[in-house]
Amino acid sequence: MSLLTLDNVTIRFGGLTAVDTVNLEINQGEILALIGPNGAGKSTVFNLITSIYQPTEGTISLAGKPLVGIPTHKIAEMGITRTFQTIRLFSELSVLDNVKIGAHCRGKAGLFQAFTRLPGMKREEAEIEEKAIKALEFLDLATKCEEMAKNLSYGEQRRLEIARALVSKPKLLLLDEPAAGMNPQEKVVLMEMIRRIRDTGITIFLVEHDMKLVMGISERIAVLDYGKLIAEGTPLEVRSNNAVIEAYLGSGKFKSRIRR
Amino acid sequence: MKKLLNNWIVQVLLFLSLLGLTAYGSQMINDIIPPYLLMIAFFIGINLIMALGLNLITGVTGQLSLGHAAFMSIGAYSSAIATVNFDLPFLLGVLIGGLIASVFGVIIGFPTLRLTGDYLAISTLGFAEIVRVQFTNMKITNGAIGFLGIEGSTTFPIVMTIAVLMICLMVWLENSRNGRAMLAIREDEVASSAVGINTTLYKIQAFAIGAFCAGVGGALFAHTTTFIQPTDFGFQKSVDILSIVVLGGLGSIPGTIIGAIVLTAAPEILRPLSNYRMIVYGLLLVVIMIFRPYGLMGGVNLRQAVRRAMMFPKKKQAGREE
Repeated sequence: MSLLTLDNVTIRFGGLTAVDTVNLEINQGEILALIGPNGAGKSTVFNLITSIYQPTEGTISLAGKPLVGIPTHKIAEMGITRTFQTIRLFSELSVLDNVKIGAHCRGKAGLFQAFTRLPGMKREEAEIEEKAIKALEFLDLATKCEEMAKNLSYGEQRRLEIARALVSKPKLLLLDEPAAGMNPQEKVVLMEMIRRIRDTGITIFLVEHDMKLVMGISERIAVLDYGKLIAEGTPLEVRSNNAVIEAYLGSGKFKSRIRR
Repeated sequence: MKKLLNNWIVQVLLFLSLLGLTAYGSQMINDIIPPYLLMIAFFIGINLIMALGLNLITGVTGQLSLGHAAFMSIGAYSSAIATVNFDLPFLLGVLIGGLIASVFGVIIGFPTLRLTGDYLAISTLGFAEIVRVQFTNMKITNGAIGFLGIEGSTTFPIVMTIAVLMICLMVWLENSRNGRAMLAIREDEVASSAVGINTTLYKIQAFAIGAFCAGVGGALFAHTTTFIQPTDFGFQKSVDILSIVVLGGLGSIPGTIIGAIVLTAAPEILRPLSNYRMIVYGLLLVVIMIFRPYGLMGGVNLRQAVRRAMMFPKKKQAGREE
């Protein structure tokens, strides 16, 4: 069953067509990777899904509900959360607060509750805290609760971003280059983590340049080049697809090398 | 004991007794200390109330506002009009002053909050100038001559009780879902909206509450000095309040309290220096900012320090058990 559907999605910035009539279906419970050379439009696809950009043409829908035209802050509530290519944490706040803010869309308390501090509000706070700690434990960050986010190591910051995205229990998690800047060991841990997240029932859509990681964890891969979807299939299929090889390496003599 | 403290009714009682104690204590101080010192204490309280509002806007939500004096003047004039022209009771006048200022906070919030940083600062500055010029040319405010005949109804216990009340409200707000959303906006707007925070809504909330504080402060100011004129609420006033917030440490409530005390008392303490007074005052600001670039209490998180000392070992153990 498809969870997220991109139907003929096109976006133009002036004369540049960044994403060109892309049709893509993301199935419930799978790990789908979107790859492509630099500037292919991968991050633009994420920005379209999270409503930061509005498509010029086409529709995007989550489990049948249209996403086009919905403000960005409502997207999280509908069940799509994301991480960013360049880490975007609330760096002067504690790790725990970062994750608590991630649960914002699942909370209800408003100004009245903030000023009266009735038992209901405290219950909600306790629930949020519990959820946040659980998310941190899931990503092995529980001992860093009180640390300031900016004082974490690079890999930890990446994981904290994932924890922040997970705490609201999304249906779909978008990971924008989660392995960027990680060392090989951290990448192995990350792969394991992504699988564990998927096993909790969350569908994962990731953009990544690291082929080892992409080939290792994705069940399906979609390839984007100059805004066009040029291939889609299992890692094995994509790996031997001529159009993909051409996009990455140009045509001709390198073909044999990539086929191994 | 801990369970008892978590009971809502017990907390309300504690809170009310805190307010009562403040009122009683400040009444005692009021009777003891000489009028000159009392006046300084008055202005510390009033500046603190206004600075708490600006701290929410600039320190917590990260929206640089240079128009805080405008909200103060709106509060001052509307409360003065309420008590003088409409014979309303003083405290109701203060409330009206705060509410009208808060309405203006929302009104300027909508168009200007699409701006960020320096651009927002300039537009709030423009707003403050418009308000000042408007008050200079209005009949009901008696224009540039100034508004006369306000009753000196503000008493020291009232100022202190309102200040303590505001501190409590701000601490609560900062520890709520709304407060966290505001902090998140300061840290990163894009990430905030990605986790589902309606950034415009929370910015406007911050402006409304911040303007309310300024309005209440202005109302108390008007009923302390008994005479207000548009020049009382110029750019200088906005900068004074901003310095309190920055010097205390952006986003830090204890910092704002210390900042209000230091910056209100310093010019008076330095009075014996006569002509050199403002030079030394300026120098003091520079020196503090050199040695504490993030403000006196900047980077010091009292609650976190306490929590780390009390809770952290417990949490670590819980992690091990699993």
